[in-house]
Amino acid sequence: MPLAGVRLAPTKRTIFWLLTAALLVAACTVAPDTGGATGGGHSDPNPPGFFPTDPATAQGGLIAGLYPIVFFIAVAVFVLVEGLLLLIVFRFRRRPGDDTLPEQTHGSNLLEVIWTAIPAAIVTGLFVLTMGTLSEVEALEDSPAVEIDVTGFQWQWTFQYPNEDLSLTGLGREGPVMGIPINETVRLRLHAQDVIHSFYVPQFLYKKDVVPGRVNEFDVLVQEPGTYVGQCAEFCGLAHADMYFTVQAMERPDYEAWVTEQQQGSGEATPPPGAAALTLTSVDINTFDPETLSAPADAPIVFDFRNVDPAAPHNVAIVGANEDGSDWIGLPLAQAGQNATYTAPALEAGTYEFYCSVHPATMRGTLTVGTR
Amino acid sequence: MATTTLAPRAGTYRRSMVYEWLTTTDHKKIGALYIATSFLFFLLGGVYALFIRAELAVPGLQFLDPETYNQLFTIHGTTMIFLFVMPMTTGLANYIVPLQIGAADMAFPRINALSYWMIPLGGLLLFSGYALGGAANAGWTGYAPLSAREGIGIDLWIASLVLLGTSSILGAINFLATIFKMRAPGLTLMRMPLFVWNTLVTSVLLLFAVPVLTAGLMMLFIDRNYGGGFFDPALGGNPILWQHIFWFFGHPEVYILILPAFGVVSEVLPVFSRKPLFGYKAFVFATASIGALGFSVWAHHMFTTGAVYLPFFSFFTFLIAVPTGIKIFNWLATMWGGKLRLSTPMLFAMGFIALFLIGGLDGAFLAVVPFDFHVQDTYWVVSHLHYVLVAGSVFGIFAALYYWFPKMTGGLLDERLGKIHWVLLFIGTNLAFFPQHLLGLDGMIRRIIDYAPNAGWMELNLLSTIGAFMIGVSTLPFMWNVFITLRGPRDAGDDPWDANTLEWATTSPPPPYNFEALPPIRSERPLFDLKHGAVEDRAASTPAARGETHGETRADAPEEVLGEPIEGHDDDGGTPGATPQVSEHAPDATPRDERPERSEARDDPRRPEDRP
Repeated sequence: MPLAGVRLAPTKRTIFWLLTAALLVAACTVAPDTGGATGGGHSDPNPPGFFPTDPATAQGGLIAGLYPIVFFIAVAVFVLVEGLLLLIVFRFRRRPGDDTLPEQTHGSNLLEVIWTAIPAAIVTGLFVLTMGTLSEVEALEDSPAVEIDVTGFQWQWTFQYPNEDLSLTGLGREGPVMGIPINETVRLRLHAQDVIHSFYVPQFLYKKDVVPGRVNEFDVLVQEPGTYVGQCAEFCGLAHADMYFTVQAMERPDYEAWVTEQQQGSGEATPPPGAAALTLTSVDINTFDPETLSAPADAPIVFDFRNVDPAAPHNVAIVGANEDGSDWIGLPLAQAGQNATYTAPALEAGTYEFYCSVHPATMRGTLTVGTR
Repeated sequence: MATTTLAPRAGTYRRSMVYEWLTTTDHKKIGALYIATSFLFFLLGGVYALFIRAELAVPGLQFLDPETYNQLFTIHGTTMIFLFVMPMTTGLANYIVPLQIGAADMAFPRINALSYWMIPLGGLLLFSGYALGGAANAGWTGYAPLSAREGIGIDLWIASLVLLGTSSILGAINFLATIFKMRAPGLTLMRMPLFVWNTLVTSVLLLFAVPVLTAGLMMLFIDRNYGGGFFDPALGGNPILWQHIFWFFGHPEVYILILPAFGVVSEVLPVFSRKPLFGYKAFVFATASIGALGFSVWAHHMFTTGAVYLPFFSFFTFLIAVPTGIKIFNWLATMWGGKLRLSTPMLFAMGFIALFLIGGLDGAFLAVVPFDFHVQDTYWVVSHLHYVLVAGSVFGIFAALYYWFPKMTGGLLDERLGKIHWVLLFIGTNLAFFPQHLLGLDGMIRRIIDYAPNAGWMELNLLSTIGAFMIGVSTLPFMWNVFITLRGPRDAGDDPWDANTLEWATTSPPPPYNFEALPPIRSERPLFDLKHGAVEDRAASTPAARGETHGETRADAPEEVLGEPIEGHDDDGGTPGATPQVSEHAPDATPRDERPERSEARDDPRRPEDRP
């Protein structure tokens, strides 16, 4: 029977070479772990690869140890199935003009039992391994060395150390810093004020949801000193993408010094020393007042932000003002008719654009730094 | 019953085409409406995806603000699931299922039309948020209490989903009634084509899952507008309750989206391998058990809430890999030893197996609870779900469209354009979604408008964006293909693929009443039996085989409909050269031009030309 595909044999061949090439590339890239072996940190993260980012905690280490077992079983199944598929394509293609029927096999109980039983055995084994690792990861120590109450709210974190009488709140790219001692068990208790958030530090290979009306807790034991970036992982509204925090793991003496330093510093509501004060008013969804501002170079900028718009929330953000070149965004938003105070990082001399991150298309202005 | 469309009055007086399409109760026209509407939503949702990927191509805020971005991914997800994949598979089933079971229409043709018309209305409601103060922005999962706090868009989202859900429930009841009560004589359950089986299981899933979502949406609506407090801990509610309700619907929903694609692949592979399906019974049981297991794994979406019993949901999630594995290996065995024709439908079906495999393996990873702790809510999960829904559902849908297009229109889609489409989609899908695995393993979370420039994620994100645009471009040759084919000659013939099932035993496109007569049904491949002489003498001599009983009330069909032993596996396949004993007016027994005129070949009192 003439079929539309038959006269297009060269195209088909091309497609199958492409398919083969694609699968070969996939198979080759699967093999090596491209993840770097160096320790973590904010400025020098592990590059993405086929394995999870390097774990910083004992618990994360257990997860990272379980992963390769699953991964290599999956790779084996992948290679088997794709290999069979390619073999079938090359071996069992119909030759032009061949109109005879192949043997009409309807099934094979033996084969079907085999490929039911083997996967069932594999997943049962994986389940047993999973439960073993899970109980270790989720185990809670009787008397943790440090306890921290984490509170997530739109779009900030507060870390309270009940035994050290310390409370830290922060927002934006850096967020608050959670100092913890290494090689000691730290108990984290998670509280939410408004909506669901999720406490996630990629290098812990662990996250736990922060749920209103519920307290989740878990233990971590960090093994290497370092700075680990964390972020809210559960979508929580407008500024979800900027709900960061930082975990700073230190030797015990450093940790104690850090706690003392924070205890002295905490409670201070005054702006950082040498900060420049600016007043900015949002009038409506099209207008800042004023639309040009100036500030001295190399000093933090404190915005006394007044939202007189009765209808919409606003804030101020500065293009490229963060150290990493991203936009600095003032949070939380000033709700309709409310005021807010934002502290922007120190800037080098130059001209910057500022905008409202809720209405970036219409609310814009220019900030000149270093000309006062 | 289904006699509405059996009295076409088109011959007596003409109605305008617009009026005809607006009021039609013909399952084929309704199916075509479903398919066309959902394809438009596919394009719309696709444009949304391109906006998202363009924004994420490099770090920093490019051209979107967070509010717009949050609306984009919410509407993208909701559109693709509820307005593209679900109506598309419903449309395909609407068109094909009655044909495959030898019925003249769906059991409830007018309810069928009602189900369809709820789809554009639901879409209108969803998108009307843009005109009324902002579209929904709490994600397609609408997690409370966030969804209880955001703007009016959420109310419209709720209304839209309730409407679309009602449409699905009505559709599911209609399919169940059609499949159980309107099969042709001889078409026992265990002779039904796999596409019908998958539609059956999908309908059961819809019937149990969607009302739960509807109830949850009502509760959310009450929370939002009347201070209900179902999900608000301050009022004694519980935010976790929403997640249980949503995922009790949401996980079966995954199978609602993918099972029809399984069905399509199970139809296409045997035809283009020229072999029967390997292990028909295993496919049926695997489909049913996937459906059943689908209701016992919902909380694996909630492992990180700290509020679910992990071992139970981990175990059942692992278990789903078993029936899925059976399907994959049985598909491979179906092709093994066959004579493969690599036409476009076959390429899409094989692409489905090659790529859905990745999505399936990812599922086993996610059952490893501690690993799920790491990748939950990251791009790893985004990658997983797109390997299931794009590499799975979308490849299955395109396989179906290329396969059944000649049946629906009489025109064969161009093979060259089809292959260009396939290559672009295959490479685009991998380029768009594979890098997201690596990003997730490195800790990039989902639903963020921006990521840190020093995290080392730019190259992979850029790659993903290029892949997404490639997927976008891949739809162009497809649409051009459809356009030129519809303008060209409709000369595909009744059975261009040399296929096995009943829909190919009538004209392309089929007449309003679907069949002149049916071939005898002695296995799950009645047309194959007819063409290759596998119909036994005993079978051919029964009244059903001669087509005489076709048209009688289905409930009065011979006992064999329910009581006859299953022969799908036992009959001895093709015996080439044997003389087929077939009913004399089975459509494909003789070449088309030698067939007797229709007016001569009637003995069915219900056939409309017979009416005075």
